[in-house]
Formats: sequence, structure tokens, C-alpha cells
Amino acid sequence: MIFGALGVVALIALAVRAAGGDQVSSLHHLYLLPALWAALARGVTGGCLVGLVAGLVQALSIFPLIERAGPSWPAVDGIVSLSTPLTLGLTVGRLLDQSRGRGAQLEALLDIQRSLAGEGTLGQRLAGVAELTRRALGVDRVRLVLEAGGADRIAASAPEQFHPAAALPTSAPTPCRRLVLPLDAGRGPAGALIAERDGDLSAATRGMASALALHLALAIENARLTERQRHFAHELEEKVAGATRRLRELDQAKNEFLTIASHELRTPLTALQGFSELLLTRDVPPERARRYLGHVHTESKRLGRIVGDLLDLSRIESGRGPELQRVPLDLGEIIEANLEIFASQHPRHHFDWSGTGSAPPLCADRDAVDRMLKNLLSNAIKYSPRGGRVRVGTAVPSDKPGMVELSVEDDGVGIAADALPRIFDPYVRISNPETAAAPGLGLGLSLVRGLAHAHGGSIEVESLPGKGSRFRVLLPA
Amino acid sequence: MRLLAHRLETERSASLAALTGQLGLVAGLTTLGCALGVAGDSLAGPGSSLGHAFASGSVHAGFLSAGWILALHGRGGWQGPALRGAGALLVASLAAGLSPVGAVAYLFVPLVIARDAIGWSARLEWIGWRAPRDLRTLFVGAAAGIFLGIHLLFAASLMLGYPVAVPDGRRYLAAVAYDIGVNAVTVEWLFRGAIFSALWRRWSFWPAAAASTGLALLRYLLDPALPQTAELVAGAMFYTLLLGLGCCALRAWSGSLWPGYLATVAFFAAYRILLV
Repeated sequence: MIFGALGVVALIALAVRAAGGDQVSSLHHLYLLPALWAALARGVTGGCLVGLVAGLVQALSIFPLIERAGPSWPAVDGIVSLSTPLTLGLTVGRLLDQSRGRGAQLEALLDIQRSLAGEGTLGQRLAGVAELTRRALGVDRVRLVLEAGGADRIAASAPEQFHPAAALPTSAPTPCRRLVLPLDAGRGPAGALIAERDGDLSAATRGMASALALHLALAIENARLTERQRHFAHELEEKVAGATRRLRELDQAKNEFLTIASHELRTPLTALQGFSELLLTRDVPPERARRYLGHVHTESKRLGRIVGDLLDLSRIESGRGPELQRVPLDLGEIIEANLEIFASQHPRHHFDWSGTGSAPPLCADRDAVDRMLKNLLSNAIKYSPRGGRVRVGTAVPSDKPGMVELSVEDDGVGIAADALPRIFDPYVRISNPETAAAPGLGLGLSLVRGLAHAHGGSIEVESLPGKGSRFRVLLPA
Repeated sequence: MRLLAHRLETERSASLAALTGQLGLVAGLTTLGCALGVAGDSLAGPGSSLGHAFASGSVHAGFLSAGWILALHGRGGWQGPALRGAGALLVASLAAGLSPVGAVAYLFVPLVIARDAIGWSARLEWIGWRAPRDLRTLFVGAAAGIFLGIHLLFAASLMLGYPVAVPDGRRYLAAVAYDIGVNAVTVEWLFRGAIFSALWRRWSFWPAAAASTGLALLRYLLDPALPQTAELVAGAMFYTLLLGLGCCALRAWSGSLWPGYLATVAFFAAYRILLV
């Protein structure tokens, strides 16, 4: 294109000469056209080059005029005429370069905003931003370095062959310029924009780089905020999903509880109704009547225990806790009494207690300890449907000084790891095909935990599916 | 940031004192050569041109040696190439002083310099001792030199009435051989190669180009071979300025000294047609 403009200059020179250019000074204005063309096509470089050549060509006719006539108005006219193409080329080219630079800057800013708002990690998005910045600045290499907390840094380069900090080439025929600008959105530098160019970094490029650095800092700050919001939204979504899942589980547990509770309550009630009706409507012999009354008594006790458990749990859940009467206890006596009862009722199970006569001293509510042990033994039996060994132990744990340990271990079905966190929740029964028919409201372990906490103690569990479970109640001595 | 604490150039020149000492030594030897040449002409009497040729050869040998010193950052190793180049220059100058046909010897000077420079290519790349990035720049360089040369011819003949002719073909060819083998070589080697490249590393293009072109202008203004009339001095300054800036632009654009060398050769080939 520049050669085309130079060709036009030559044609104009010939035309001016043919027309007797010294006499027709207005023809010299034609030299403006190729200078303008070159400036519009190639900016300040093209405009200046063609303007200079046009000026030099005109000088051939103007300088002899000055030589002959000396300083005169025609000479001034000639000098103005020969300098105009250069001035025009410089001015128009510069304006065009500036407007193109501004346009490129705006376009780059929009692209950068779009790129930063895209998918992927901030580091991945920055690689695209570095390339866009490189193109907008018209430099050879761009690197973005961001502080990512502590000694961590996110770095993105475009292209990848970025000169390391200490190794700017010194043997290249064109010197490499490096511009380092802080990325500061008003809250201190968050990183740096580093631009490298083989050759000069013009004032326009430096100014544009400063503006871009500010916009980049703001855009990166926004991108970080957006990323944080996305992260927060994701966390919130997970929390809501977890809470919804938990609510569903609770709803399911409530439904199961209602089903089981009605069944558990109806069974003794049916017995009570049946035996009392028999006693009222029939003439029953005294021994049988006594046996019936025994059944009525047993079922009413069972009913009373269920209602008692529900009331205790309700009190624990409301934060009031059961009323405890702490007295020194003989833990061994309570264990022996319970084992005797359970052994007589469950002949398929074998009960072990290794600490006969050596249970550590304990100051606690007797009824509460008894109920905790009964619940744990009942669970051990319930979840060992094929029988097996149930081991009861007491100890003073070395890892928990000042506490007394009461443990119940079985060889039953065990509990899956994912279900372990929920087994102490009220109304929760872990489904297992082997134990589905076992009675219960899902209150036992919740009650044990509530009673242990009321004493200032705790309960722990270790379990392996298919191997069995071990519950460990820790109570203050 | 850590980045800002790093040195941006890993290769530094020798100390300023060492560099000044080396350049001073070359300047002293150049002055001695000039003095010997002038003294030789005085002793030989009128008509002798050997002394003048020796002095001219000494000046160009000084330019060449200064270029080698700056190109190698004054770190040593320049002495051998500088001595060989200076020797070739002096021999060629004496040969041309004896007879116009002897000017053919000028054409061997670039070969001697190139032979040494090829061995130092890696360390001379920064001054532009390499092929241009784009071969079209060679054409642009030659075209720029031809344009300026033709412009000079037109301007001088139209404005000042100097005739454009080649009355003695052998003398013209001898002058062109001098430009090809000595004038353009030393000017490009020192002013565009060593000086402009060194200044461009520290400053931006325009200050570096202005400074190196200013030094080149000074070299032509101090040249006793140049006619000292006001209009010729003004013309020389005008064209040397344009040629110098153009060669700097070509050096920066192409990364090589070759386009500027072609421009200089083409311009001086035209200039030699002008009978001043």
C-alpha cells in the first residue's frame, strides 16, 4: 500500500512538472492525497513516510526557487506547501492510531470482561485474558501475576515463552522492553501486569497499559467476587440439599415412628382390653383369673415403660433433662441383676461380664443407669437375631480420667459407617433385613445418650457391618 | 515485588574507566596515524597522496576499532579483529593512493572484517551483525539509498548547478569501491551498529537515532575531503541527516545492518556522480 502511495507521489510529481508546477501552486495540494491515504491505511508510520517523500519531491522545485529569489513570500509559500503533506500524514496518522488504540482498548476491555466472566478456574480464564491484553497492547509477551493468598501466585502468560525475570535477552539485535504495572483496584496491589516488547514501548502503549491495568484489576476483583459468590451459592445449595435430605429423613422417621408407636402401644392395650373383658364377661376360675391379672400387670408395666421413655425423651429434647438423684452405686450389682433377667428371657444369647465384684465406684442415678444398661442390652439382643455372645464390661478408662466406662458389645449385624452419625437421633431405626421385625420405637439409644449427657457423660460407638457393635457409655465417677 | 528487584541486563560493559581507556588508546593511535600521514605528505612534497591515504585509512581503522570495542563491551578480544581490520584498511588505502586500480583492494576489507565477525557472531548479533528478518528490507534499503541519491543529484544540479557526469570511469569506480569497502562499512559498523544499538538499549528509538546520527554528521563535517562551502555543508548535513535516520530506522526494522549498508552504498554511489 505504501508503495502504491509512493507511486501516486511520483505520478503527481510528473503531472505537476508537465503542467509547469512553479506557476500552478495549487497543484501541490495534490501531494496531500497520497499522504492522507497512507496515514489512513498505515497510521503515523505510513503518513510520515509518504509525507516526507512528497515533501522531498516538492523540495526539488522549491529549493531552487529559494536559491534564486532568497527569502520571499513565494519561498514561504513553497516551504508551507512542501511541509504540509508531512504534517498532514503525521497528524492524521497519529489521530488514527489514537482512535484505533482507543477502539482496540474498548474492544479488549469488553473481551476481557467476557473472558473473566466465563467458566473455569480464575487461572484458566486469566490465560485468555493475558492473550487479549497482549493483542490490545500490541506487545510480544504479556504475563499476569496475581497474589492468591500467602506465597501462592496465579500466573498466566501469553504466549508461553515469557522471558524469566532475570533473563531478558541481551544478545538480541532488538532490545527487549519490559513494563511492570501493579494491578491495584484501590485496595493495594493484588498482582502485576508485565508486558514485554522487542523494540520500543511507545508512550501510547504505556498509557494504554496503565488504563488496562486499572480495568484489569477491577475486572479481576469482580471475577474473584463472582467466584466467591458462586462458591458461596454452591455451599448454600449443598447445605439446603443436606437440610432437605435431613428433613425428609426426619419425616420418614416420624412416619415410621407413628407406625411403630401405634403398633407398640396397641399390643399391650389389646392385651389389657382382652384380659379385662374376659374377666368382666366370663366366669373365670380363680387361678386363671390370677394369671390373667398377671398378664394385665405385665402389659400395663410395658405400656408404662413406653410412655415413660417418651416422656423422658420429650423432657430431654426440650432441654429440661430427667430428674437425677445421684447416689453411690454398686454398678456390679446392677449389671448382675440385669444379666440374670436377660439371660432367663433370651436363652439363645450368651452373656459375659468379666468384672464380677470389681466394678469401679460410681455416683449416679440408679434408675437412669439401670435404664441405660437395659436399653443397650435390649439393643444388643435385638440386633443379634441369630444369638451370640453379649459382653458387658466396666473400667476406668485411661484416656478419660475421672470417668467410669460401661460397655456392651455384641456379635450382631453391626451398623454401616454412613448410618453411625444418625443412630443416636430420636425415632431413627437403621433398616436391616435381618432386624426389620424387631420391635422398638427408635428411642433407646437416643434416651441412653440423653441420660449420659444429663450425667455429664457421653456415649461412643464402634461398629463393623457383619461383625458387631460396641457401645461405650462414659459417666463421671 | 521480586520481579522488580532483578537486574534487567545480565551482560554489562566493562567499567567506564576501562572502556574510556581502550577508546582513548584507539583515538591516540588514530591521531598518530593521521599525523604520520600528514608528515609523510609534507616530506614527500607536492603531488604525493600516500600520506593522505594513510591518514584516511587511519581514521577508518579508528572507527572500525572503536566499533569492535563497543560491540564487545570493552571486555577484551577486540584487539585481534581490530588490528587485522586496521591493517587491511591501511594496506588498501596505500594501494588506492598509489593508483586508482589499487582501490580494488578496498573490496577485500569487508572480507577481512567479515571473517573475524563470523567468529564472534553470537556476541555481535546485538549490533545487527546478522541476516535481516525479512529479505524485502534489503530492497527497501537499496531503494531508500537510490531515492536519496537521485534526489541529491536533482537538487544539486537544479539548485546549485553542479554537473552530473562521470568524466573518469576509473576514478568513479575507485570511489565506489572506497564506499563499498570502507566508508559504508565503518559508518554502519560504528554509528548504526555499535553506537545506535548501545543507545537504543538504554533509550527509545528517536533519542538513540538522533544521537548516533548527530555523531555521524560530526564525522562528515570534520572530514577534510568534503568541500567546505556553505551550501555544500548544508546539503551534506541535510542528506546525511536523512540517510542516518533512515539507516537507523532500517536497522531497527530489520534487526540487521545490511539494509542500512545497502542504502549508504547506493546513496554514495549516486553522490560520486556529482562533480563538486
